[in-house]
Amino acid sequence: MDLLNLIDLAQSLIDGVLFGTTYSLIGIGFTLIFGVMHKINMSYAAASIGAAYLSLMLVSLVPAPVVYAGAALIGGVLGWLIYLICFRFLPINNPLATLMSTVGMLLAIEELISHLTLGMPQNYPALFSSTNIEIGQFFLRGDLIFVFMLGCVAMVALTLLLKRTRLGLATRAVAQQPVAAQLCGMDVNATNAGTFVIAGLMGGTAGAMAGAAIGVLSPLMTLPLTVKGLVVTVIGGLGSIPGAIVAGLIVGGAENLFQFMRGVSERDIYVMLMLFAFLVLRPGGLFAAPGGRD
Amino acid sequence: MDFYLGLAQVIGIHTLLGLSAWCVLHTGQVSLAQGGFFAIGAYAAGMLTSMWGWPLAAALATGALMAAAVAVAVGFPALRVKGLMLVVATTAFAEIVRLFFFNLQWRVQTPAGPVGPDGSLGFGGIRYFPSNGWTTLQVCILIWVLVAAVMFMLWWLDRSRVGTVWRAVGEDELAAQSAGINLTAAKVSAFGIGGGIAGLAGGVFAHYATHIEHSNFSILLATFAIAYPIIGGLSSLAGTLLAVIFIQGFLTEGLRFIGDWRSLLFGVLIVVVMLVRPSGFLNRSLGRSLGLGRATATPQTGDATRGASTHA
Repeated sequence: MDLLNLIDLAQSLIDGVLFGTTYSLIGIGFTLIFGVMHKINMSYAAASIGAAYLSLMLVSLVPAPVVYAGAALIGGVLGWLIYLICFRFLPINNPLATLMSTVGMLLAIEELISHLTLGMPQNYPALFSSTNIEIGQFFLRGDLIFVFMLGCVAMVALTLLLKRTRLGLATRAVAQQPVAAQLCGMDVNATNAGTFVIAGLMGGTAGAMAGAAIGVLSPLMTLPLTVKGLVVTVIGGLGSIPGAIVAGLIVGGAENLFQFMRGVSERDIYVMLMLFAFLVLRPGGLFAAPGGRD
Repeated sequence: MDFYLGLAQVIGIHTLLGLSAWCVLHTGQVSLAQGGFFAIGAYAAGMLTSMWGWPLAAALATGALMAAAVAVAVGFPALRVKGLMLVVATTAFAEIVRLFFFNLQWRVQTPAGPVGPDGSLGFGGIRYFPSNGWTTLQVCILIWVLVAAVMFMLWWLDRSRVGTVWRAVGEDELAAQSAGINLTAAKVSAFGIGGGIAGLAGGVFAHYATHIEHSNFSILLATFAIAYPIIGGLSSLAGTLLAVIFIQGFLTEGLRFIGDWRSLLFGVLIVVVMLVRPSGFLNRSLGRSLGLGRATATPQTGDATRGASTHA
């Protein structure tokens, strides 16, 4: 009996870590935007789910992999639109203004989704949902493995983009020192917009992954995904991409573990308490220098 | 007539909520925890009157004090961080409170049958007003007396040393610290007083609604709470009141004929106000020409330093 329990425990941990890549991608998006603009885009996770919703229009036309690619591309377009509406023309030195404008956008997107779909959850295509890989005592769900792989591919692509392309170089330069980057002749506005597009591509992928792993899309997913994404960003350390990846996997695993031990209605209490523990003991996050209080 | 009284009650409760967020925003902190303090006040005051038959005034005061105590207790660790980290920390706190009440089951037997929080079914039967024969008008007067009292207290605080300290911290933390101001004391006191006001608002809300449940206290409520002062403008208390009247009176009730689409308008409205008037509808220059607010430092410098401290 004890052994069986232990196996179930490990099983839920594995499932959670596999799904955690979705949180990682959302966390990366928050972190990227915070990195270059020192601003938080609260509407990011909602736009990601919105991109997944819009990609549903492709379902009847093209095979599932193209739908995922479509979600990513739509996510990029939405990212650019959000930059234009909520950031471009707002005073850069007033953090409250962009915070509120993106919160407004979050609420607008959520309402728009629930109105256009009449609040009904929509089925999302999943790949390999009938394949299960059996390793010893453990089952690995095919769709979760696929989601995990997709997340890894997106992260590798992002790393290549940031390290190997001129846009990536500009992004990193603006993140380090916007004024110096501008003096070197970089167009800071264009770089900011480009970063929003990159973050949007990741977000669209994450939205599609969440849809594929859960099987349905629902407007109720936007707020929890926003909160979890923010938690991941803080636990990983603001502005740290490796931190966001690791923290995403940790939050995904811990969430499923708490759900297994304490039930679904209490699960998030412990995730939030974990966040508080991090804030008190390591306010700079996993991958930041200790003692970074501000 | 009852419709307008009901509307006035809602506006009063939301004004209290907006004022609680105003306190915290005044010190330059963005807190999404106001919904959590509101929930603590609502459950505490509701439980005291319905389960143990306390008088209303004592229950409301206890609810407010409990919320203030929790705010101070949470404030010490949470206010070590600021900017985005504080937004996340307070969001997490509000979610913990909501989920706590979602799981809370505590029923006691009273002459009117079992009452108390019943987990996900919510907490009904807070029937203090009906069973004591209060009319809607009386409830409405009570709410607005509380609003007036809280507004007067904040107006007075704002002119006193406490308000000066809060404002100094909000405009420039580094300068305030250099001038010998205790940052922690200033922030935690604002957090505590804001939490107390939110708790009071929650207690009133519980008795006004008679049935409360965890979904009343979601992040959306906290968003409304900080949206009122930000949309109205932080330089005066009247801005918050104006914003509440506009959003609750016009946007939510006045536009009822366009149906459910008006909740979409709330989000769009925030975006538009931030684009057109980033420092709020009733900003300092307009407020001064109307004889409201203070003639102190310009908003630009305060916002700029606030931005800089968020970046650090």
